[in-house]
Amino acid sequence: MTEFSDNSPRKFVFYGTVGVVFILFLLRLIQLQVLYGEVYGKKSEENSIRQIARDPIRGLMFDRNGTLVVDNRPSYSVTVTPSEFKIVKIQFLASILSMDTSLLREKINKGIRYNRFAPVKVKRDIDFATLSAIEENREKLPGVDYQVESKRFYPTGAKAAHLYGYTKEISDQQLVEVGSEYRPGDNIGATGLEAAYERYLRGQKGIDLITVNAFGQLLGRYNDGKNDIPVREGNDLNLTLDSKTQALAESLMTDKRGAVVAIDPANGGVIAFVSKPDYDLAQFGSVTPVEVWKELNTDESKPLFNRASLTRYPPGSTFKMVLAAAALEEGVIDPNWRVNCRGVFQFGTRPFHDLHVHGSTNVTEAIQKSCNVFFYQLMLKVGFERWTRYSQEFGFGASTGMDILEENPGLLPSSEFFDRVYGKGRWTQGYLLSLSIGQGEVGVSPIQMANYAATLANKGYYYTPHAVQKIYDRQTKQTIEIPPQVRRVELSEKTWDIIQEGMYRCVNEVGGTGQAAKVQNASACGKTGTAQTPHGKKDHAWFVGFAPKDNPKIAICVLVENAGYGGAFAAPIAGLCMEQYLYGELIREKPLRSIANLLMTNQEDQ
Amino acid sequence: MVDLWYKENTDFKTIAPAILLLLIGIASVYSATYDAGASIYFNRQVIWAGVGFALMLTIMFIPFRTLQLLSYPLYGGSVLLLIVVLIMGKIVAGSKSWFGIGGFGLQPSEIVKVTTILAVASYLSERQVNLSRWKHVAVTFGFVLLPVVLIVLQPDVGTAIVYLGMSVVIIYWAGATNFLMILLVAPVVAAVATLFGTTAFLIVIATTFVLLFLQRQNWLFAAMAFSFTVMIGISVQYIFGKLAPHQQNRILTFLNPDADPLGAGYNVIQSKIAIGSGGFFGKGFLQGSQTQLNFLPAQWTDFIFCVPSEEFGFIGAFAILLFLTLIMLRGVQIASMVKSRYASLVAIGIVGVFGTHTVINIGMSMGIMPVVGVPLPFLSYGGSNLLTNMIMTGLLLNMYANRKEY
Repeated sequence: MTEFSDNSPRKFVFYGTVGVVFILFLLRLIQLQVLYGEVYGKKSEENSIRQIARDPIRGLMFDRNGTLVVDNRPSYSVTVTPSEFKIVKIQFLASILSMDTSLLREKINKGIRYNRFAPVKVKRDIDFATLSAIEENREKLPGVDYQVESKRFYPTGAKAAHLYGYTKEISDQQLVEVGSEYRPGDNIGATGLEAAYERYLRGQKGIDLITVNAFGQLLGRYNDGKNDIPVREGNDLNLTLDSKTQALAESLMTDKRGAVVAIDPANGGVIAFVSKPDYDLAQFGSVTPVEVWKELNTDESKPLFNRASLTRYPPGSTFKMVLAAAALEEGVIDPNWRVNCRGVFQFGTRPFHDLHVHGSTNVTEAIQKSCNVFFYQLMLKVGFERWTRYSQEFGFGASTGMDILEENPGLLPSSEFFDRVYGKGRWTQGYLLSLSIGQGEVGVSPIQMANYAATLANKGYYYTPHAVQKIYDRQTKQTIEIPPQVRRVELSEKTWDIIQEGMYRCVNEVGGTGQAAKVQNASACGKTGTAQTPHGKKDHAWFVGFAPKDNPKIAICVLVENAGYGGAFAAPIAGLCMEQYLYGELIREKPLRSIANLLMTNQEDQ
Repeated sequence: MVDLWYKENTDFKTIAPAILLLLIGIASVYSATYDAGASIYFNRQVIWAGVGFALMLTIMFIPFRTLQLLSYPLYGGSVLLLIVVLIMGKIVAGSKSWFGIGGFGLQPSEIVKVTTILAVASYLSERQVNLSRWKHVAVTFGFVLLPVVLIVLQPDVGTAIVYLGMSVVIIYWAGATNFLMILLVAPVVAAVATLFGTTAFLIVIATTFVLLFLQRQNWLFAAMAFSFTVMIGISVQYIFGKLAPHQQNRILTFLNPDADPLGAGYNVIQSKIAIGSGGFFGKGFLQGSQTQLNFLPAQWTDFIFCVPSEEFGFIGAFAILLFLTLIMLRGVQIASMVKSRYASLVAIGIVGVFGTHTVINIGMSMGIMPVVGVPLPFLSYGGSNLLTNMIMTGLLLNMYANRKEY
């Protein structure tokens, strides 16, 4: 064997090998650090910087007197961080939360699949006792914590469920539609004003950038919070609602089906918006329990359904002012034109009945006493086309455009409509007689009727009804007024006066059908309606009116489904609501005997 | 004339890069375990470095003949330690490879690397030993395989691989024929190639065939060697199935680290991010987010390379690579210049150990080698390993100082 100093070929194999490996490693180093340095730099930042979304505080709602009606309260959700949680404690945790162990396990497993270092919500909106139990057992339950969220709270007696509406966890489909502003698990307005004013109420999410270690543990703020995006709180809504009137109307409608809508005739602001039966929004506070959903959805009386604006009812006699207006304005009759009512009107072979024998009746008296025979005859003189046109003028057959955005446009028949439905020449003038007293095909919603009453009250200013008058921007500290939208219904002063006189007498004079709506010293005006319903059910009770006659402050529509006479069941509710609004309280010494049965709840509650 | 002796016999070309690496290593351990101040790891590592430096100088001055005479006894004693540790060692990270002595742990498999080098060098430098004789080859492998078997039993595959790398280097340097080298290397290459797929395996088989044919050696042996290689390749799939799941994962992860980013591939992804994000100039000492926020597992031991790479960037990583390469090149140089066959084999064995550690460790950190847990020389935290590295450096210095001895 030779000496190693002569081992040159193999020496060079070594030098070569070392050199080649050195160069290979160097190239790899250059690739990682120089060529892809920026890519990896970004990755290392993403590794250690987490974005924590901060939910904004949802905007509040105040009523027209500045009373806070929709507030926020903290709600506590229990979270489990799977990587820190000891699975042997699952039974113990389940007993504290009083929830099913398997359900709890399922939620934790879901969290593990997503990210076992991130907390997962296992129960939302826990009560104080549960929160205390979690706090007490903190040592025994590593990885268990709670998060504070906010939920809606309704401090006044006014429930106004269908007006305020509720928020709901955003659906996957909505997420696709609304884009990047929302994330899964966010709440979004689902109904009522919560939905209609979502973009104002919501505010803007803030993002906190924090530094975490490899275990996802919070180490501190990134760059001292200089790169954080601050939370922008939601804007507050100033409603035109009067929470006391709303609360009274709700209590008066207890155990009834129907709606009460009151509007300020001076600008179209909605004073009250009641749909009954209703539900308790407080149950929808942050997350709706499944049982509550099921109950509300299967309830045969449909409490979730908004009867104030999403419905279509025959208006009955409350619709008669449309025909009176058309007849007077078109010069078809003069105020002294009279009809002798014998309680029945024979049209061809078919008799059309009236409730009473009114004798000789002019237009004012016909409104006062709700004389059907008068309007049957008037309809034949005015004709279908003009009736339809004036009905349209008063906003029927179309959505009012109220800001709540949930409306049924109703149905306003025309000769074209009848031609289409029945066939040309296959319907008779007899069909019109029903329409003249608000029966038959014509369909209206309580919001349309309330706005109709407001237009009669202010003599032709058809305001778009709205529940929000101002929006307060918390960032700029500025209040934005929403200007009311108005359209004129051009009738002569004389026509308005005649109609108003009839409505005044209806409430305030002997023989009027709406005397139960009388308000002390307020010269209330109105018109009752008793709409027949198919299937032999009891009639719908209607009342539309306003007060005071001069310089009206409130217009109202009351509908009680299947109750009977409008004068007996709807008018008293309207009277009490108008009194409440005009005086700020109920001033009558004791409720009228005829309506005593309507006051189901204790007034002291208000 | 002591001064002159120093000047003549102290190999600064070995000492300088070793010291520099040691300093970078201490700084890296400091950073990797930094927690509002120096950690206990850092303090211990400084102590080990001090002890190691003293040990290095001591070994440099051990008389050359004494060392040679002590080779077999040292080997025997250390192998005995390995057996004892198997019986009564404590378990760390799933391996039974540690002695606990008063709070410090001692890992015999580290020091056995050195004694094995000494023993093999001693045997191969005996006059009558010739690697063209199968009996002598078998004895040589006996020296290596005894500790390897004991270490694999612990189990510690990383260290076992280092032994094999080291023995290939020594045997080649000792004059093994190309035929023997093919015999040794081809099955290993075939085994690895199989994991990459059939095509890779067939290429290796074909190459082996051509190489064996070109040697024109004993045809029977050649045929046997070839069949052996093919057999190994085929049975690797079978053996792979028998591996512990974490070992399987490591191999599969090496082939595709992104397949399971939070599981087995996590280490490699994070270490690549750490190295890459260091960029050219680094993020600054104690400023590496990957290091400081503990995104790297075992960042003060097996993944230590990431720490200076992240905090000192390309400059730091390049320096480490350069110093390690310089030590190895110097080792080959010493192996070539010494008069003694024994000294030459010891030097080249040390180069083999440093080389295998470096390639596996840095290659793993950069994602071009499978994740196998071996420390990076001079840098990784750990007393046994650091002392062993310093002892080996001391041996290189000793060989250099005695380069004129026969």
